[in-house]
Amino acid sequence: MRDELSLGSLADAEVVARCRTGDQAAWCELVERFSRYVHAIATQAYRLSREDAEDVFQDVFARTYEQLDTLRDDAAIRPWIGQLTRRLCIDRLRRGSREAAAPEELEALEAEDVIALLDDALSVHGALATLSGDCREILDRFFCRDESYLAIGEALGIPAGTIASRISRCLGKLRDAYEGRRRRPGASRE
Amino acid sequence: MAEADPYLDARLGDFVDLLAARTPAPAGGSAAAVVVAMAAGLAEMAGRFSDGHWEGARGAVAQARVLRERAAPLARADAEAYEAALAAMRGQSVQPAGASDRELGEALGRAAQVPLEIAAIGSDVALLAAELAERGNPNLRGDAAAAAVLAEAGARAAANLVEINLSATAGDERVARARSLADAAASAARRSLAPAP
Repeated sequence: MRDELSLGSLADAEVVARCRTGDQAAWCELVERFSRYVHAIATQAYRLSREDAEDVFQDVFARTYEQLDTLRDDAAIRPWIGQLTRRLCIDRLRRGSREAAAPEELEALEAEDVIALLDDALSVHGALATLSGDCREILDRFFCRDESYLAIGEALGIPAGTIASRISRCLGKLRDAYEGRRRRPGASRE
Repeated sequence: MAEADPYLDARLGDFVDLLAARTPAPAGGSAAAVVVAMAAGLAEMAGRFSDGHWEGARGAVAQARVLRERAAPLARADAEAYEAALAAMRGQSVQPAGASDRELGEALGRAAQVPLEIAAIGSDVALLAAELAERGNPNLRGDAAAAAVLAEAGARAAANLVEINLSATAGDERVARARSLADAAASAARRSLAPAP
């Protein structure tokens, strides 16, 4: 448990370096860290079927495992995996296993927009992980669980009238962490 | 592409005409949702003009926007839930008593859920707007106070609808919840109207 927690707090580059030494737990962490990203690119940006997305998913991580030694910048693992996923999705579409549109018909710009959103979401998720537990909880309750200030106040034992200010403060911290990460794209969970 | 919404896509004048028409919906719940959404819009504007006055302004804008986006679709949701409850009431006279009572109770319960959400969002908007009135750009204090008062009105109107819809169900905790939300909104609206220090 302690090892899982410490792996989760490592930057991408450190996880990659550990994977290269054959650390199985680090490999699991890497797959866990990027599995939703890869799956979302396949299903949301390229609209692959579930089966095709699953094939791409397997292929992406198999190649990542094989080619880890060739990676020039460990901190750039995310854009590298993103690019590999794009390429494999397009290959899959070209092979015609998808019944709908051919790759030429695919709105390339639209796919890039979706991938940019996914990149942002991943950065926000990583930035969120750097905040205190209190901040994470209050932001999660308001933005993800749609809880009212009154309900949040009752759950956390704080006056409802102070919740808006607390959320604003936590959003400010999240913004700082997010902008810091955008300046250093490889550092995903430091 | 987002599904068309007959109220949000209507011109304001046409929506008011729909409210005035002799039809069951849109009615009080839809109006309350729109008023709360408008109040959130005003709070959002007050927040945008408060950057440099209050460090929480940008966060307030983000919250106001989320609240506006949550409130607006409830205008249609309330009309649909209310019409379903009316249909259940009409069906009550042609079905065996036990089955129709249960269906009616469920339909009224669903019809109460939407105004309860409106009351909760209205309460949030009033609390956020009160913060903006107190800490935001003083030139926008009147708009922030307008947001708080409108949000309170929407929350109170919605809480009253919850109470009416659940009047047949004794002891439903949603009635007390709705009152608490409206009371919190009222307290916030009073704060927003207090003279500037």
